[in-house]
Amino acid sequence: MSVIADEIVSFSSVLRMAYNMLNGRNYLKRKKFREKEKLVAITLPFSDLAFAAGTVPVFPIRMHQFEISQYLNYLGSASSIFGWNAVSKFLSFIKNQGIEKVSKIVGDIIEDVIDTINVKYNQMYDLGIETGISSDFCYGLKSLVGMHVSKGQNVDACLNVTIRCSAYNKYLESLKSINEGPKQIWIDIPPRNLGNTIELLTDNVSNALNEFEKLTGNNVTDNDLRAHFKIGNQVKKSYKNIIYDISASDFYPCNPATFSEIMALLSITFQDYNSDAARYRDNIVSLEKEMRERIRKGIGMDVSKMPRIFVTPMFGGWEPKSHEIIYELGGRALYADWELLKFLEEIPTSPNTNPSEEYARFLMRATETGIGCDNDKLTDSYLRMAKNLNAEGLIFFQLFGCHSISNCYSMLREKVRRELEIPTTAITFNKIGENVEQVKTRLGAFMEMFK
Amino acid sequence: MDDLNLLSDFSLFLKEKKQQGVKIVAYLAHDNIPEELLDAAGFFPLRMIFGGNDDLMDASHDFLPPSTCAFAQSCIGLFSTKPNAFRFLELVDYFIVSNHCVSDVCVSEIISKYFNIPRLNFYVPYTMNKNSLKYFKLELQDFRNQLEAIVNRKVSDEDLHNSIVKFNNFKKKLLEINELEMSGSEKLKIIHKSMLFGPDFLHDLESLIQKFKDTPQPVPNTSKDVLLTGCSIFINDNMIDLIEEGGGNIVFFDTWIGNHYYSQIVESNLIDINKDPLDLLVLRFKNNIYGDHSVPDFLKQKVSVIQKYSDSYTKSKGRKLGVINHIIKFCDHISLMSSFLKDTLQEKGIQVLNLERDYSRANRGQLSTRIEAYLEMMK
Repeated sequence: MSVIADEIVSFSSVLRMAYNMLNGRNYLKRKKFREKEKLVAITLPFSDLAFAAGTVPVFPIRMHQFEISQYLNYLGSASSIFGWNAVSKFLSFIKNQGIEKVSKIVGDIIEDVIDTINVKYNQMYDLGIETGISSDFCYGLKSLVGMHVSKGQNVDACLNVTIRCSAYNKYLESLKSINEGPKQIWIDIPPRNLGNTIELLTDNVSNALNEFEKLTGNNVTDNDLRAHFKIGNQVKKSYKNIIYDISASDFYPCNPATFSEIMALLSITFQDYNSDAARYRDNIVSLEKEMRERIRKGIGMDVSKMPRIFVTPMFGGWEPKSHEIIYELGGRALYADWELLKFLEEIPTSPNTNPSEEYARFLMRATETGIGCDNDKLTDSYLRMAKNLNAEGLIFFQLFGCHSISNCYSMLREKVRRELEIPTTAITFNKIGENVEQVKTRLGAFMEMFK
Repeated sequence: MDDLNLLSDFSLFLKEKKQQGVKIVAYLAHDNIPEELLDAAGFFPLRMIFGGNDDLMDASHDFLPPSTCAFAQSCIGLFSTKPNAFRFLELVDYFIVSNHCVSDVCVSEIISKYFNIPRLNFYVPYTMNKNSLKYFKLELQDFRNQLEAIVNRKVSDEDLHNSIVKFNNFKKKLLEINELEMSGSEKLKIIHKSMLFGPDFLHDLESLIQKFKDTPQPVPNTSKDVLLTGCSIFINDNMIDLIEEGGGNIVFFDTWIGNHYYSQIVESNLIDINKDPLDLLVLRFKNNIYGDHSVPDFLKQKVSVIQKYSDSYTKSKGRKLGVINHIIKFCDHISLMSSFLKDTLQEKGIQVLNLERDYSRANRGQLSTRIEAYLEMMK
């Protein structure tokens, strides 16, 4: 794992993202109490309206104190004086000097970022079950309930966007029972695009914006929406570039396990942009630059002989050791859930457009051609993504209790065999760390096919 | 045995329909499917309201993981294993893919795809507001178009009005079941048969209801009255036997197969031949406040209807009413809200048993023990 740590240290943008993710609690406290801003709980990448309305979107787990954040707080303080790049170079220097104690601390910080998040996820999972949600539900849902039970009272509102997963929609309804205080703002995305559906969805978006206006007391203008969409588009552009230009290429700016770790961090933080869209945009743009710069200089790793293994879905819960195991077995794990689900589509921002309508179109596209209204459409999305990544293998995480995005493996396997002719396997997942040995065995057998 | 007879009769009935040239449209029987449209277009709506067993559930695992709703699993199993009593499923001409819950989508899609039954689509919005009602009308229009394309003719407004009136009258009659003095199992038999045969059963239903009105069959005072909420008890399921053997009696079926279905009545004065009949179906959807599909007020409405019924029961009978929340394992809607429902009702002094189960034989003993313990506590 120290290899992973070594690599990440030289990406200062990753360090910043990790810091912003783990230090969310302090940042959000400042926003709420000192700057009197409104916190809005969001799940999945639905933060756009909250940003445009001038509120602070937060994926609820970020309101927690993370064990590692004390170290990162120190780094954060140092960075505010010396700048992040200087801190990053300093960390690399320390590690290269082999100063063991300091080096270990530095290694721990980076190594623990994803682990720390996942430990917290597991705590939220346990809390969800303790609260009374049946253990039959998927990892993601149980964790989300835990997050709202523990920290949901701190938010001023919850932005609830319906999707085709009925358990998720009921979870959204249950939020007002978990915490009575927060305002519930709803956007109902119709299941299909029939007749004037876009008009209806546009009206739903406008109604949600009215609710935001009531929450903040401020008007939300078309320009506010466009301004945020522009930032969001830049984020999405860089994210897509990283997925297509870099993760699918034959030379990586770091080792593949590190690369996957970065992609996992992006996947988690993309949901609420670490509560600051402009800062997140700056970080992801600079991450792309740093990656390209390293590749240009030939720093990194030739991965042309390592099969591209598309690992999906992972946003609702997956075994985070997978990419490391795949790397050890000679492959590289590619993560691209948000692109698969069409959340990386840009939103038109020209002055002659109606931004609420454009947002409605964005939501409808994600519904129709991303997650899809049925498993036939959804499996097409998995297939399309595997094809676009030029994947040589597909590992499908079948979440225990998921009835929506990961229960379609039989149909997917059939399509993959027929249309892509690449090896595929399913791994059952219930909780992080629960079945690592079994995952190892399955992945070992799977990777044998590439030898 | 009764259920087998029912299925046998239904099989003959369906064959007759087919001989008359009627096409059969099957669907997972949720409460928002516009059966009136099917009827007006000359189709027979076949509700999948059949319970499962180990074999049926196991048979579905080639298609979906075992952590899928047991009812949904069993529906696949019925098409996959084709048990003798369910041979009539071979007569199905179309299957509706709908989204009562996501398992409804997946299972209907699988049945259509893997058992070569042409598919019809009908989706329902998730919320209940001005825009979702407008969207519901778009779906109705689309569904009408799909049916018209099959029959190669327009479904006239007049035919649709007639079907709406027909189903409305049928439901009004069914609603009278709530007031009959008879055991829950007897009530359920009538409900099952009615919902399976549809308005064709109206004449027999009227006679049956009259018979029970004339000669009430009161349930002994020793049994504990309960309201059943949550998931339905389907045909061929022994759940009601377990409740009655444990000393309970269901007096009100607050489920799909029960009050949710027949309480969706449009007031007669609103059925105007000059109005768009699709608006009446929209109104029916709007009035379906007890169904579990919609968010965000499902829990609020559920608590309200149970509390109201419970208060009225206690007032008239002078004793408490129990509530059994029947949860079919892995049911998204009922399972996720079960702890909230229980907590809220218990705060109001209504004792709730959250009874979760699948269709396996092995858990029969455990279920009996839990039911008996709950009913014992109601003393």
